[in-house]
Amino acid sequence: MIVPHTPAGSTALRFYVEVARTAYRRQLIYRWANIAGLCTNAFFAAIGSYVVVALFRVRASAGGYHLAETVQYIWLLQALTMPVLPFGWMDLMLTIRSGDVVSDLSKPCDFYWYWAGREIGRSLYFLAFRALPTYVLGMVLFGIGLPSQPDRWLLFVASAILAATLGIAYRFLYNIAAFWVVEARAVATMAHQIALFCTGMIIPVAFFPSWLRAITGWLPFNALMNLPAEFFLGKVPGSQVAFELSRQAVWVLALTLIARRVAAIAARRVVVQGG
Amino acid sequence: MNRALFSDLALYRRLIVLQMRAQLQYRANLLIDIATYLAVTGLEFVALLILFGSFPRLGDWTVGQVALLYGVSSFGFGLAEMIGAGIDGFNQTILRGEFDRLLVRPVGAFIQVVGSDFRLRRLGRITQGIAAIAVSLHLLPGIHWTIAQVLVLSAGIASTAAIFLSVLLLGATICFWTVETTELTNILTYGGCYMLSYPLSIYGRPLQRFFLFVVPLAFGGYAPVCYVLGRPLALGLPGQIALAAPAVAALFALVSAAFWRLGVRHYQSTGS
Repeated sequence: MIVPHTPAGSTALRFYVEVARTAYRRQLIYRWANIAGLCTNAFFAAIGSYVVVALFRVRASAGGYHLAETVQYIWLLQALTMPVLPFGWMDLMLTIRSGDVVSDLSKPCDFYWYWAGREIGRSLYFLAFRALPTYVLGMVLFGIGLPSQPDRWLLFVASAILAATLGIAYRFLYNIAAFWVVEARAVATMAHQIALFCTGMIIPVAFFPSWLRAITGWLPFNALMNLPAEFFLGKVPGSQVAFELSRQAVWVLALTLIARRVAAIAARRVVVQGG
Repeated sequence: MNRALFSDLALYRRLIVLQMRAQLQYRANLLIDIATYLAVTGLEFVALLILFGSFPRLGDWTVGQVALLYGVSSFGFGLAEMIGAGIDGFNQTILRGEFDRLLVRPVGAFIQVVGSDFRLRRLGRITQGIAAIAVSLHLLPGIHWTIAQVLVLSAGIASTAAIFLSVLLLGATICFWTVETTELTNILTYGGCYMLSYPLSIYGRPLQRFFLFVVPLAFGGYAPVCYVLGRPLALGLPGQIALAAPAVAALFALVSAAFWRLGVRHYQSTGS
């Protein structure tokens, strides 16, 4: 069992900010990889857009969405995916596999906030260098617009911040499964794909049959990308705003607490081999 | 020449049998991997079916017709992923300087690279592709299958696999210069599979031309499916071009093979 000494107060906060800043800076090195990734995001969003353009040829609206809104939704989710639900994130799992996790566990800081700090730094990088360019490409290629209502922006930003925090807790959880499961890679792939599906990345949630929407609405995944997108497009009626935001906040709180609890249990289990 | 080819094929067979035996040692793990991959790709197909709950048609394509296209594309890509795993992981061979070792052996480098991996877990996507084709046949009871149609469709799946393999080889060859594979190959593989799951006619002209005449994936999936369904092709092309799919795939494979040979000649180890 490893019980690191944890500093408190502003020193601790400064430390986590520095962790985030380092993660942000480390990401800056991968400039070409980011450009290639940007092309991939744009390509997938473009194909999705062409598909819905063809679909809307026979119907003017579906699930309360018009064509222009659906194309906007597709590009927005493609933009949000790297900051909120990055593909193939197994960094933590790999440290568990290799045993490097021990050095992170013995650092004099909180294990969860250490990783969360790193991920916040990365998310900010992807917000600036992936999400914004992706959406701008959508504006150029498919003429999608931006909301002009300030309240939509306010709700979107608030919801997107909660979503990114939720995404960190969620991927922390399915990565830390590697402490118990040998096939952790399969677990991670499955967990990621289910989240993508339920949050509207494969097809917009608006096109789900109503029974499926009723289920996914109560799952944490809805709060990852579908909810911020609905705020962005003004799809949440005024009477529902408070309810939706609190439901999202409850999920953030719940998943973060569970992730921290599981991390604590895992840390107690760690047996360090060798000298 | 012929003898060299036969001995290469015999070697390839031995390497693959070895790979399969190794993977079958961990049977439970393999089954979990296949099931996971089937579930992941299956969810995407389910999403397609859900989409058609809200929309009756995609342009003038019905759900059964799109499902057939989807199945052919997935089946072909799944085959390429399974066979081409060694090519896909080639950047690691370059990165670790292991390619030097391959070159000093008295057999062709290519056969060693392709034979270095064979991913049985890719059966997951292949199963999904077959399931999609089965669903489409259920939704399209009106097709009267002739031997010609069955042959064209099978050749289409094989051509799709061959073209995807050639794309993987092109991506691997780039590693001779860049060491790293670029994620751009993914646009042509995963992106190409996703794109070719829908009718080519819905895309913009430049994209259509690119996937017909530059990376001819549309010859493998779209043209044969249109032939079977008796549909007109995009860009006003004659339906008979579906018959040319194997020739086009072979030509594309020859081009990527020539590029590979150029890469091997250019190779200057990573050193250290």
